[in-house]
Amino acid sequence: MDETYDCIVLGTGLKECILSGMLSVSGKKILHMDRNNYYGGESASITPLDQFYQKFSREMKGELGRAKDWNVDLIPKFLMANGQLVEMLVSTGVTRYLEFKAVDGSYVYKGGKIFKVPADEKEALGSSLMGLFEKRKFRNFLLYTQEFNEEDPSTFKGINPKVDTAATVYQKFGVDSNTTDFTGHALALFLSDDYMNKPGSALDLVRRCKLYYKSLSRYGKSPYLYPLYGLGELPQGFARLSAIYGGTYMLDRPNTEIVYEDGKVVGVKFEGDVAKCSAVICDPSYCSEKVEKQGQVVRAICILNHPVPNTKDAQSCQIIIPQHQVNRKSDIYICVVSYAHNVCSKGFYLAIVSTTVETANPEAELKVGMDLLGSIIESFVTVSDLYVPTDDGKDSRVFITKSFDATTHFETTCDDVVDTFERLMGQPFDAKQIKHTTCGEDE
Amino acid sequence: MATGLPTYKVILCGEYGVGKSSIFRRFMNNTYVVSNEKKTTIGLDQASRIVNVNGTDVKLLLWDTGGMERMSFIGSSYYRGAQAALLCYSVNNKETFNILSQYILDIVMNAEGAKIFLCGNVMDCGDDKEKVTEADVDRFTEECDNVLSGVYKVSCRDNIGINEMFKDITEKLHEMSVNKMTLRRDMVIRPGETPELTKDTSKKRCC
Repeated sequence: MDETYDCIVLGTGLKECILSGMLSVSGKKILHMDRNNYYGGESASITPLDQFYQKFSREMKGELGRAKDWNVDLIPKFLMANGQLVEMLVSTGVTRYLEFKAVDGSYVYKGGKIFKVPADEKEALGSSLMGLFEKRKFRNFLLYTQEFNEEDPSTFKGINPKVDTAATVYQKFGVDSNTTDFTGHALALFLSDDYMNKPGSALDLVRRCKLYYKSLSRYGKSPYLYPLYGLGELPQGFARLSAIYGGTYMLDRPNTEIVYEDGKVVGVKFEGDVAKCSAVICDPSYCSEKVEKQGQVVRAICILNHPVPNTKDAQSCQIIIPQHQVNRKSDIYICVVSYAHNVCSKGFYLAIVSTTVETANPEAELKVGMDLLGSIIESFVTVSDLYVPTDDGKDSRVFITKSFDATTHFETTCDDVVDTFERLMGQPFDAKQIKHTTCGEDE
Repeated sequence: MATGLPTYKVILCGEYGVGKSSIFRRFMNNTYVVSNEKKTTIGLDQASRIVNVNGTDVKLLLWDTGGMERMSFIGSSYYRGAQAALLCYSVNNKETFNILSQYILDIVMNAEGAKIFLCGNVMDCGDDKEKVTEADVDRFTEECDNVLSGVYKVSCRDNIGINEMFKDITEKLHEMSVNKMTLRRDMVIRPGETPELTKDTSKKRCC
C-alpha cells in the first residue's frame, strides 16, 4: 500500500461518515476504515437479531419473529424535521438513499402520568397539561418565539437575547414552574436546568423553541423523523456519498495504529502496511490517548410486544421525563419505534430508555422510565463513557469527534461535525460543490 | 421530482470490474468509456429511464454501487426497497460467475422479494482467464430455476443487448407488480422531496 491520502477516517459512525462525505465532495482523497465488518460503529443498527443478542452474550429465546426483520439501534435518536441533519441530507443529496416516517407523537411526564405534547392549537386547547389561564400565557410565549427574528431587534420586545437569561424570558410572560419545566425540557430539549440562569440563554431558548415548532410544522404529528430500517441507514448513506466522490472503503480492519512523526500524523498502520496521510479523523475509540472522559450515559434497550400504554397505540413516540419530576439533575428520555419502521418483526416494539448517569447504580436510574413501558420481554442495559478530545487537533492533525451524548436528536451531532470539518479544512463546508443528481429523462 | 409514475428500483450487483458501471453508463446516456483504468462516474450513482409498457409509462431507476465493493462491502442500505437486482458477471472471467451464489444470498437477505436477473457482459479484457460457457449458464439457471426472472448476455463495448435487456426487465417487473397488490407507501417521507405542510398552507393563502 503506497497510496497517499489527504485524510484517513477511522470508524464509520455517523459523524465520521458525514465528514468523509463532505471531504470527498470537497475533492479530498479519503481512505475510510472500520474495525467492524459492518458500517456504523456505535451508530449502527444491529441485524439480524441473533447478532444483537450475541453482542450482549445472550441466547435468543422465545418467539420474536424472523431475526432478519430486526434492526436494533444502540443509540436512540430522532431527527428534527427542520434540524441540521435533515438540511445536510437534502443539501448533499443523501436524502435520495433513505426513507423516513414522522414520529407519531411526543409525550411528557408530569405527576406520575404522561401527557401528549400538543402538536396543534386544537390539541393544545384540549390538553390537561396546564390550566386555561396558564395556556394563554404559554400561547403568548410561543407567539413571541415564533415572531422573534434575530435580525430585527423590534421583535425582541425588551429582551436582550445575547445577554439575558432564559429565566428572564419566562418571567416576562409570567409562566409558572410547570410550564417552565415543560418548555425547557419537552420543547427546548435542554438536558438539565443548567441553562436557566446562564447569560445569553434567552437566545438559546428562543432558537430551540423555534426549531421545535418549525420541525413540527413540516410534517405534522411531531417534530421528529425516523428512517426506515433504523438509524444505521444514515452513516451508510453518507458513506455512499463519500464513495461516489472517490472515497475508498475498507471494513473489517481491527488493528489500526495512527503513526506520528514529531507529533504530527503521517499515516495509519494496519496489517503491516502504512497508508500515508496528512490528517486523520476518528471517533474516540481509535485514539484513546488523546481523549478524556466526561460523564456517562446509561441506556436500556427494551423489546416489547405491545405499544407503550397511554400513547394511543403510537407506533413511534418520544417520552421525556423532566428532571424535576423525579428529583434528578438530568432528564430521562424514552424513544419508541416499531415494526412500522422496519426495525422489528410484525407486532413488536423497541423502546430505548436513556439518561445521563448520576449515581453509582445507573440501571436503577432508568426504573421510572421502564415502569412506563408496561411488560418488557427483555431489556439490555449499557453504560457508555462519554469522551471528548483533549485538544483541537490542529497540531497533530488528528481530529477526534466526541462520543454521542444523551440528547435524543442530532443537533449536537451536527455541531460537532461542522466544527470538526472547519478545524481540519480551515473553512466551512460548501454544499454547492455537489453536482450529482439522479440522471434521467424526467428530472 | 416525484412523477406519479410506477417506479422500479433496480440495483446492480456482482464483482468489482465486471462492467456494472459500463452497463450503468449505457443505461444513463448510452456512452462507453474505453479505458483500462476504471473510473467511477463522479457523483452519479442513480439513473432513470421511462419505458412504455403496453401503453403505460413506467420508470426504471437503476442504482450503481459507487465502487464500494472494491475493497469492502456495499452495506445493507443499498438493497433497501429494490424491486430487482441485476446480477452481473464477466463472460471472460469464470471467477466472477462462480461467486454469484454469494451475491444471491446477499440479495435475498437484504432486498426481500426482489426479482433477480442474470446478466453476462462480454468484455474485451481478461483473455487469460477461464471463460464462462453456455453450459455453465444453463447449469446455473437450472440450479436457480425459481430464483432467476431473466437471463441476458450483453456487450457494453459493442452496445449489444442492453436496451433490449432493460425493456424486458421493465416489462416483467411491471407485469409482476400489476398482478400483485402494490405496497402502500403513503406515510413515507423523503425530506426535500415530500411536500411539506407549511408549503401547502402558504400556497393556499396566496392563491
